[in-house]
Amino acid sequence: MGTSRNVERRTILKAAGATAATLGLAATTGCGGGDGTSADGTVTIRYAWWGGEPRTIAIKKTIALFEKKYPKIKIKPEFTDYEAFWEKFQTQASGGNPPDVFQNAVGFLRKYDKRGVLMDLKTQADAGNLSLENFRNGVLANGQVDGKQIGIPVGANTMSLVIDLKAFEKAGVEAKFGWTWDEYFDALQTIQDKLKIAGDTGYFSIMYLYDLYLRQNGKAFFTDSDLGFTEDDVTQWWADGYKRVKSGLVADPKKIEQVKPKSGLSAGLAASEFTWDNFSIRYQGEGESDYGLAPIPTTDGKDTGQYLGSLMLSAFSGTKHPKEAAQFIDFMVHDPEVGKIMGYDRGILATTEQYDAFKPTDPNNKGVSAYEDEVAKAGVLGKITPHPSGADVIEAAFLRIGGEVAQGKTKPADAAKALFSEAKAAFAG
Amino acid sequence: MTLVKEAPARPAKKRSAAPAAGRRGRRRENLAGYLFMSPWIAGFLLLTAGPMIASLYYAFTSYNLFTPPRWVGLDNFTTMFQDPRWQKSVEVTLKYVVVATPLKLLLALGVALLLAQKRRGQALYRAAFYMPSLIGASVSVGFVWRALFSDDAVVDRTQKIFGLDVGGWIGNPDYVLYSLVALSIWQFGAPMVIFLAGLKQVPQELYEAAEMDGAGPLRRFWNITLPMISPVLFFNVLLESIHAFQVFGSAYVVSDTRCGPADATLVYTCYLYQKGFKEAQMGFASAMAWTLVVAVALVTAVLFWSQKKWVHYEEAAK
Repeated sequence: MGTSRNVERRTILKAAGATAATLGLAATTGCGGGDGTSADGTVTIRYAWWGGEPRTIAIKKTIALFEKKYPKIKIKPEFTDYEAFWEKFQTQASGGNPPDVFQNAVGFLRKYDKRGVLMDLKTQADAGNLSLENFRNGVLANGQVDGKQIGIPVGANTMSLVIDLKAFEKAGVEAKFGWTWDEYFDALQTIQDKLKIAGDTGYFSIMYLYDLYLRQNGKAFFTDSDLGFTEDDVTQWWADGYKRVKSGLVADPKKIEQVKPKSGLSAGLAASEFTWDNFSIRYQGEGESDYGLAPIPTTDGKDTGQYLGSLMLSAFSGTKHPKEAAQFIDFMVHDPEVGKIMGYDRGILATTEQYDAFKPTDPNNKGVSAYEDEVAKAGVLGKITPHPSGADVIEAAFLRIGGEVAQGKTKPADAAKALFSEAKAAFAG
Repeated sequence: MTLVKEAPARPAKKRSAAPAAGRRGRRRENLAGYLFMSPWIAGFLLLTAGPMIASLYYAFTSYNLFTPPRWVGLDNFTTMFQDPRWQKSVEVTLKYVVVATPLKLLLALGVALLLAQKRRGQALYRAAFYMPSLIGASVSVGFVWRALFSDDAVVDRTQKIFGLDVGGWIGNPDYVLYSLVALSIWQFGAPMVIFLAGLKQVPQELYEAAEMDGAGPLRRFWNITLPMISPVLFFNVLLESIHAFQVFGSAYVVSDTRCGPADATLVYTCYLYQKGFKEAQMGFASAMAWTLVVAVALVTAVLFWSQKKWVHYEEAAK
């Protein structure tokens, strides 16, 4: 009995020790976050972005370049795809632990500004850690909200129409500047008649395209705090869309759904697709045909409603190293070498230093560059419309509800009602 | 910690010496038990009980993760019951539970009956049938499923041979849920193993006696096997229904994280996830979670109540 008791006692002590050790370990990991400063004064900042593999490879190269130039600053990369990025970011930000520097987009600016997550980089510019000079075509304004500079554009892009060049040629139709929506749909009809494939992959669920259509008609998708159109407007838009799915002018949504993550255009299900011009680089790799950028159809033969959107870099308002974060952003948007490495992956380079440094040689980047030059020359570029807090949720709802209409599961009028009610909740959130 | 120090200081007394010493000994044993359990208890309190209580509180608040929760009483619940997407998610989940659970159990029982017979390579068969359950929860299987049921993939081509041209199931709101049902059925291994164990327990004499009385295989199954394994059947029905209510991973992956098309795979947990993590409506999501808890508890209660009518326990037979 005595021995067994002893054993028992020892076990108890061991168990207690183990528990204490576990707790101790937990305590150390708890401190693991720290303030990112090591004993020798080296500062570590976290940098997060979304995007595919080519972007990640390029960004890692630029990080290496930065660390060479600033040996006292280390960059810890974090990256995922778009959807996962924002889910993770939301959780990190609510826990007070977002990355120090991160990629951002216009749809999220007000949302996170409202929640106090974004640093006003003007203060850092005033302190001389970051330059706000040399931005092209006024894109710097894209990162401004209520007089604050909460995002610094890395590139500029615009909505475009990507077309299957071979299909358009075979059908004998031409995509020309100033064409109208009627002419666009006539072209799709010709493609369908001659090639027996759909013309478009599903234009009516893309929020940013509908925004252009509204802008052509003197409205916009968003006002400062609300939707800028009526239920009747969007009912009409979706009713027309559904009609065109039924007639085969727009590809069958059931098929489009199943080729994901490939696009319907590169899978050969349709001959054209609306998207951001810098996305067009993906098609050549994905599909069998040749692809080109074509002008956005218009209502009046002139105004496309286009504007320059941007991906940006933002910094966390509560970062322990505001100066280093600003220096890092400055390097990423101004350094010519970085421009050469990144190319037009995140849109046409936003600063003159980087724009001049990178001369596109491959047809994709050349195409994007030529397209934006052409759009700029046509003088159609307007100012970006506001994106209130909740814009991201509404974009997802627009895509989903548009999809339901296309599948014939929701009537356009009911869909419009649903969109408005979800938008109300999103603005309130 | 003081308690641990105290324990060795006490002189060891024989248990029989006095009732008080016996109590002390027991207490000491209890103490050891609690100490060993302490990591688990701490984990339970910190990681399970704490969040549960917090989520119960959040269910009555409006909480976007950034601003402090604001008490709104029953608002989340009233909004929820009127929300067409919530109604849709309930509808989709119930459909899934009602279709997937019985089919999965039927297959599990059927295969268990086959495997219960002695034959060559039995162990191999059992392993082979159990295998899908081992890898079932993984995301990769979701991707494989997506590939199998897509347009012009294996399933589509096979059904075309039989003259059924519905295209792939994944893009079709009328069919996509059944691809999830198929995935669930494919993972019948766990209930099958439990059925097998149950079948082994049925006394052979009963069959022999029945055979002598001239009972055929069907009659033997109906009058002997089924009643004898009814406790196991009950256990499986209970477990699988609860599992089915909580389906998430397969729906999320097969539908490319959107629980669609057209919300066709918007199972309850998928909507809960969207509300909580995409739209940052944690109050609403918590209200949804607790509604699910209550619903599953009710279903469990009904099943327990119903077992009196059909589950046969040894004691009751005596």
